[in-house]
Amino acid sequence: MSCAQDMTPRRCLERVSLMANERVAEGVGLAVFAAPGVARDIRSGQFVHLRIAEGASFILRRPFSVHRAAGDRIEVLYQVLGVGTRALSLAERGAEMDLIGPLGTGWSIPEGVAHALLVCGGLGAAPLGMLAEELAGRGVAVSVAQGAPTAERLVARELFSAAARRHEIATDDGSAGQRGFVTLRSEALMDADAPDVVYTCGPEPMQRIVAAQAARRGIACQVSLERLMACGVGACLSCVVSTVHGQRRACVDGPVFDAAEILWDRDESPEHEG
Amino acid sequence: MSHDVDMRVRIGSLELRNPVMTASGTFGSGREYADFVDLALLGAVVTKGVGLEPWPGNPAPRIAETDSGMLNSIGLQNPGVEAFCAADLAWLRTQDVPVVVNVIGHTVAEYAAVAARLSREDGVDALEVNISCPNVDEGGMAFGTSCAAAAEVTRAVREVTTLPVIVKLSPNVGEIAPIARAVTDEGADAVSLINTLLGMAIDTRTFRTVLARGVGGLSGPAIKPVALRMVWEVASAVAVPIIGMGGIMTGEDAAEFMLAGASAVAVGTANFVDPTATTKVADGLRRFCAERGIAAVRELTGAART
Repeated sequence: MSCAQDMTPRRCLERVSLMANERVAEGVGLAVFAAPGVARDIRSGQFVHLRIAEGASFILRRPFSVHRAAGDRIEVLYQVLGVGTRALSLAERGAEMDLIGPLGTGWSIPEGVAHALLVCGGLGAAPLGMLAEELAGRGVAVSVAQGAPTAERLVARELFSAAARRHEIATDDGSAGQRGFVTLRSEALMDADAPDVVYTCGPEPMQRIVAAQAARRGIACQVSLERLMACGVGACLSCVVSTVHGQRRACVDGPVFDAAEILWDRDESPEHEG
Repeated sequence: MSHDVDMRVRIGSLELRNPVMTASGTFGSGREYADFVDLALLGAVVTKGVGLEPWPGNPAPRIAETDSGMLNSIGLQNPGVEAFCAADLAWLRTQDVPVVVNVIGHTVAEYAAVAARLSREDGVDALEVNISCPNVDEGGMAFGTSCAAAAEVTRAVREVTTLPVIVKLSPNVGEIAPIARAVTDEGADAVSLINTLLGMAIDTRTFRTVLARGVGGLSGPAIKPVALRMVWEVASAVAVPIIGMGGIMTGEDAAEFMLAGASAVAVGTANFVDPTATTKVADGLRRFCAERGIAAVRELTGAART
């Protein structure tokens, strides 16, 4: 392992092994890694940059939010979209990989928060898992609005149900929860619960609507944005996000940003990654 | 290892403790990698391109992965030379490593102004004049694809600095040797090559280019054979030291560039793959020499040519 002991944030290149890897929803896998260094230091909303295969024709790492961390293990939820995530889905228990982490700026929990609303679409559930558990552990009342195209594509349903006081689901086809967009549920929950803070992750158009709903009600909102990324450590400037403060790097300044800073029209979010 | 290898090399008046440098734009100003790499183990840090004023860069998406490589169209985003000196250079001065600052401009006058400004600062050991970035409409590669323009930029920088001047060449030309001769005739102390190859990727789901700008620069292992061929051609054309780069992932890759005629090498895209790539390449190059009984790494330079 190569890392500096005295740096904040402390980032390491860590050799990890795959402890479990299973399909948990349609097109979605859950990989569990033994990663003692990252598991110890990671905070909710941060990510790891995983090298899935060496010597393959795809050379870049893939950034993944850490869904949960416990003991010496981390859990990563991934959607099978491209050559990298396909290779990850085929990796077997015991496979050795390496990752860089913990990376990025995660969620922040303001002082005095009594009630938080989490809004996720699809795999946007991934970075909200640790946060839901952390908030619940601190005695914050948690509401979750969760959307997915179908019931088969809902992830982390049990985690959110356990951590949240209210957990509302919306699917496009009505196969779970209510039929329709999750943004209908988020708006209803903002009005019903008057949360102190809203956290959201999912497709960027969804996050943009959630941010606008929160802004109209004067509620602080944090968004977690996805960008194509090369270095993961702030050097290459691939993953920029347009903000009122100029171009910020999703890998260092984000992936979590204050929604009020984001200039939504400036960037094209990636169609797919992985 | 049976005996120590002398890893020192010279690029003009610049002495490096080993031949492994970082490729501009892939290593920030070094600080971004300081958690992973002891910079004192590198030959030099070559910074991201620095312009006279802040440059905003291109819209995202700025990268696309391709077979054994990647495209980028960052567009030379940088905070401008004043902010660079105040933050990045101030930090680099505290590090025990030679610093090469990559210089960019929209115009010849801007290149000269940045070079002059940097020459007044402590802690800059050499300038790398970037006439080869394919990702901007003004400046960049436009200066690196004609002998007259390449010569003009080199002359303008040469006139305002006594620092070693390295000119970074574009591979996006029919013949690279005449460009190399044009810049060395104007006093370039060294040339570095190659910058990225102009390329494109199409997203078959959206029927769009993956990069927002459409085109970008190809880097990574995919371009190594092209880079080696061009280093070979330039080594045939000019007498100044060559810094070779393009897809170097291992010490053996670095040795290939030196055997083709390079005096030093730079590691670029490999930093994204492995943040410790630079020191691994340096270790690998040392081992390569030790295993073959080569006493000094500089003996490799051009050895495939004789």
